[in-house]
Amino acid sequence: MIGMDIAYYPGCSLHGIAREYGRSTALVCRRLGIRLHEIDDWNCCGATAAHSLDHELTLGLSARNLSIVNRMNLDRVTTPCAGCFSRLKGCSLALGNSHETRERLEKRIESTLAKLPEVAHLLQVLVEWIGIKGLADAVSRPLSGLRLAAYYGCLLTRPRAVARFDDPEQPTSMDRLLRAMGADTVLWSHKAECCGGAFAAAQTGIVVDLGGQVLEAARQAGADALVVACPMCQVNLDSRQEAIEEARGVRYNMPVIYFTQLMGLAYGFSGTQMALDKLLVSPLPLLGHKGLL
Amino acid sequence: MGPDFHTSFRLERIESPLKRELKDLFGIDVDTCLECGKCSGGCSNGHVFDYTPRKIVQLVKLGAEETLLKMDALWICLSCQLCLDRCPSGIDIPRILDHLREKSRRRGIPATRPAVGLFHDLMLDQVRKSGRVSEVGLMLRFNVATGQYLNDAGLGWKMFLKGKLHPFSPSVKSVKEVRRLFEESYGKKT
Amino acid sequence: MPENTKTALVIGGGPAGMEAALRIAQAGFHAVLVEKEPELGGTLRDLHSSFPRWENPRELIDHRIGLLTKSRRVTIRTQTAVMSSVRQAKGFRVSLKSLGNGGREGYEDELDVDAVVLATGFELMDASVYGEYGHGIYPGVMTSLEFEGQLKTWAQRAGDIAVDAPHGVALIKCVGSRDRSKGYPYCSKICCMYTAKQAGLVKDLFPDTRVYVFYMDYRASGKEYEEFVRQVIEEKHVRYIRGRPAKVLPEDGRLLVRAEDTLMGIPVEVAVDMVVLASAIVPRPGTLLLAEMFGARTDEYGFIENEPFEPARSSERVFYAGGCGFAIETAGALNQGAAAAAGVTALFNEER
Repeated sequence: MIGMDIAYYPGCSLHGIAREYGRSTALVCRRLGIRLHEIDDWNCCGATAAHSLDHELTLGLSARNLSIVNRMNLDRVTTPCAGCFSRLKGCSLALGNSHETRERLEKRIESTLAKLPEVAHLLQVLVEWIGIKGLADAVSRPLSGLRLAAYYGCLLTRPRAVARFDDPEQPTSMDRLLRAMGADTVLWSHKAECCGGAFAAAQTGIVVDLGGQVLEAARQAGADALVVACPMCQVNLDSRQEAIEEARGVRYNMPVIYFTQLMGLAYGFSGTQMALDKLLVSPLPLLGHKGLL
Repeated sequence: MGPDFHTSFRLERIESPLKRELKDLFGIDVDTCLECGKCSGGCSNGHVFDYTPRKIVQLVKLGAEETLLKMDALWICLSCQLCLDRCPSGIDIPRILDHLREKSRRRGIPATRPAVGLFHDLMLDQVRKSGRVSEVGLMLRFNVATGQYLNDAGLGWKMFLKGKLHPFSPSVKSVKEVRRLFEESYGKKT
Repeated sequence: MPENTKTALVIGGGPAGMEAALRIAQAGFHAVLVEKEPELGGTLRDLHSSFPRWENPRELIDHRIGLLTKSRRVTIRTQTAVMSSVRQAKGFRVSLKSLGNGGREGYEDELDVDAVVLATGFELMDASVYGEYGHGIYPGVMTSLEFEGQLKTWAQRAGDIAVDAPHGVALIKCVGSRDRSKGYPYCSKICCMYTAKQAGLVKDLFPDTRVYVFYMDYRASGKEYEEFVRQVIEEKHVRYIRGRPAKVLPEDGRLLVRAEDTLMGIPVEVAVDMVVLASAIVPRPGTLLLAEMFGARTDEYGFIENEPFEPARSSERVFYAGGCGFAIETAGALNQGAAAAAGVTALFNEER
């Protein structure tokens, strides 16, 4: 297994509400020989709030993180959060495309941005840099019998000029990864539709509406569970599932699982190590029933 | 339709400095809009917007800046990027909305959805103070600020039982570096 | 073939090529008509009907083939490809290869010709580029050419097709055309007309089926063209909705089309059983190879380009006609075939 050193940007939720994503990511990466170096003293990327109200601030927040990666002497950085990925990648492209922007930001953060690291979402690192074969080789417990709906959400692949990863309309990277883990993936209509984004608190109705459409589409496609690569999507579809069920009058009981948690299971880690019990809609009955725990 | 459209438009009186602004600042050229409606057709929240994405671009062409700065769509756009990704001319509508929202804020125009603006402000406030966001802290402050003390209480309790709530998260040590970013822009406006 | 008579090589046996060969022969010269398929006719063979008069394309093909086979100055070489060419003083030495059948597969022969007419036609863009429409992923989503085949199948089984009737069909125009970001910036010219035709044909076959055409514009600039589209809308009751659909979604075993009705400014959606994509018209890859072989000029898309002030000629001794130059309808292809022939005969007459 070829080792890989890469800077790691967890993002605020991986230290908070999505700790299970962080934990499973760490174990899976270690198994694959990827050495994650958490960015020292990283700051919040600003997510939706910053770009919605102040673009200059958004650039500044990401520029600081990118400059720290430089100082760590690493030329690549990854994050498991699609939102943080979009911010970091967007910023690195903006800095790379314009001298004026780069100079302005360098002055603001009082640090050099001459060398910009390559930014890739964790899913991209695994599927493109490690490769499907490498991922499949580490499987010791295939996830047979699981029918999964791979849910990509918005920012993993859009806008294509920024993300430059997979196809925004019919993405397949996560599907291929899950099949390499031994599971089946379903063909479904909402793999890249929006879950409601950052509006869970301020406009809950929007998340109930859009998240509900996603769950309904997964149910119609015959999926046992949804698989995600973003903490916002996970929290929206998991923690608001009860509200969605009430609004629609339909019982979904659809676990929403981080792809790294499933990878970990396939690699022989236990359900506890993968912190599967942290998910509100529990995947334990499903996984137990399929003999995967 | 908004209040600007009660009388018939005199086309010869229409100017759009906003159109020029978008071109100069971001390279967004609304003249390339084919008016096809693919943006609106796929907009995640289009069925709730007062003006669909295509209409928003049309409003830019018509120079209807007041309407744009006051519209509801500004505050419930999810930035899902579907419109930009599908537009045959590649018009960056999310960026247009971000710009309009910033402008609207600077002009002191109240958000049609105050909760949305408030949530963003509270989050950025946390980032300025500690460099990172604690979801628990943010939710609590949001609830208090909106007077919905028991909002999501049931959910919060479930999360607590699952050990998902972490009220104390590490802050950035060199938080001064983060605060400096606010001084130049955001901090000045609030 | 008599030694002294000038010969033109016509590459492509569709309407443009057939017309060129015919006219060259009628003017007293020789034409060798080369076609890689086993039959003449080109894309016309795949069509079920034509605009603006709802005629059967087979009749045109048969009529032309009749004249061509009767002519003693036309040599028809089907299942043949042009492999190479060497420019000579006043012409080309070309090498032809048989593609199959009758024990002649792989057989190569050489030919000296005095001029060339490129008439290799067009094809449709790969619609799977538009993942939002699901071509190649959702059954029931097909290109317009594939749908034409479906129309033929339905028409042939006239008696017992009621069972098969779709409840709803949506035809989407401008898939790949007028698209700077994922497709081609140009307009493919004929899709507005053939889409109206296809929509009208569905209503003729299945009067109860709901048929929707999603458009940005409808371009009907030709003799009897506007009347044709109005007939489809007003008499056959095809519903035209102005808005380029954003997405096709599978739902409940059917296909949901999501768009904006831009005239009202409201999002709309409709559930149908089939979605037909009017895919952009593009030149065939073989055309570029032939252009290189004969020194013809092409544009950035691979369409053949003309010399300044010479609409039918691309370079010295190299003429062209039909879809290989740009999207065109049958009548236009016939006219251009005749124009290319005029260029050839003028050249041949000059050099007598």
